[in-house]
Amino acid sequence: MTDVVFPALAASDPSAEGVVATWFVRDGEHVAAEQLMAEVQVDKVSMEVPAPAAGTVHLLVAEEAVVPQGTVIARIE
Amino acid sequence: MTVTQNEVTGTTSTRRLTTAKAMAEGISQEMERDPDVFYIGEDVGAYGGIFSSTTGLLERFGPERIIDTPISETAFIGLATGAAVEGMRPIAELMFVDFFGVCFDQIYNHMAKIHFESGGNVRVPMVLTTAVGGGYSDGAQHSQCLWATFAHMPGMKIVVPSTPYDAKGLMISAIRDDNPVVYMFHKGVMGLPWMAKNARATDVVPEGPYTVPIGQARTARAGRDVTVVTLSLSVHHALDVADRLAADGVMDAEVIDLRSLVPLDREAILESVARTGRLVVVDEDYLSYGLSGEVVATVTDHDPSMLRAPVARVAIPDVPIPYAHGLEAAVLPNAGRIEAALRRVVGGG
Repeated sequence: MTDVVFPALAASDPSAEGVVATWFVRDGEHVAAEQLMAEVQVDKVSMEVPAPAAGTVHLLVAEEAVVPQGTVIARIE
Repeated sequence: MTVTQNEVTGTTSTRRLTTAKAMAEGISQEMERDPDVFYIGEDVGAYGGIFSSTTGLLERFGPERIIDTPISETAFIGLATGAAVEGMRPIAELMFVDFFGVCFDQIYNHMAKIHFESGGNVRVPMVLTTAVGGGYSDGAQHSQCLWATFAHMPGMKIVVPSTPYDAKGLMISAIRDDNPVVYMFHKGVMGLPWMAKNARATDVVPEGPYTVPIGQARTARAGRDVTVVTLSLSVHHALDVADRLAADGVMDAEVIDLRSLVPLDREAILESVARTGRLVVVDEDYLSYGLSGEVVATVTDHDPSMLRAPVARVAIPDVPIPYAHGLEAAVLPNAGRIEAALRRVVGGG
């Protein structure tokens, strides 16, 4: 099982919160490694989150949820 | 949701992209295929396009093919036209369509006319991309659609995608077309994280290159009671309204996404109205002298007796688009105005 982590966009503020702006995968879908999974945003900076491994996706956070950087937002089995 | 089938491997894919990413992928795949394709405009390089039309392309293709320009639309659209005449396939981006005033001689009198004036001996295989539309309080000079202004002048094809799938397929078709093509993307369909959330701006997109034919409308929703002819972001609003009215048992509306303005798929309009007998046109351009009148005339020129009720047009009333959010929302073709028009046309027949 592989954790998918909200990336650290604000390096100077490790506790900064961000938004899971878009999920490109649905819960229970299969992803290939490196497939685009999400776009996340801190303030006005956004970043793509690719799948760290291939497998079945379990989403842990809803789209548009606000979470601290470093939060595990999905798991891949 | 659509699931696409890979014709080579036979596997199905549910890979989703936003409209912006799909557009950029289409550009990228054509640039890989054809060294004569390049992209030029303001903030299209390191910035990646202010509405993410070119995100990632500079890193991939370098500054000789992804070319940032000064604020000089006449110069770089003229440059692109000249490069096209010499056999390249340029894509020039006019950052906001509202800025057309400073470069319209290059567009209207050169890009659109050289192939005609040369008796067909000189081709102009270029694409002019431009961001259109309002809904985010950007004021009267940054919120217009203006597609009818471009479609009015013979000589240019006009495409207006509303979905990620069409954004990629129409981009590839536009690049491969030997005529000048204007590619107008609404900021509200791009799926940008900093704009209003739009669930219809993310969908399944095939990974390989494919084309969507220019000049062919798409039935976004089949229905029996009334035809909604629309395009761009208004397709999404019309689908939201149509789905809700169907769920409530009020009516079953058909939604036609034009996708292209030139050539206009008049047959698709006529075929649908022949079945439903009722027509609502939803257009985020100005009401008068524009697309909505052209669509209605398409029906009445053919056979006015097709219509069982008066037509309704939902468009921007003939005022500049206000900056104040509440006023802007009132002039845009929003869900409330679309629903009222549908109820009027269906109830009044």
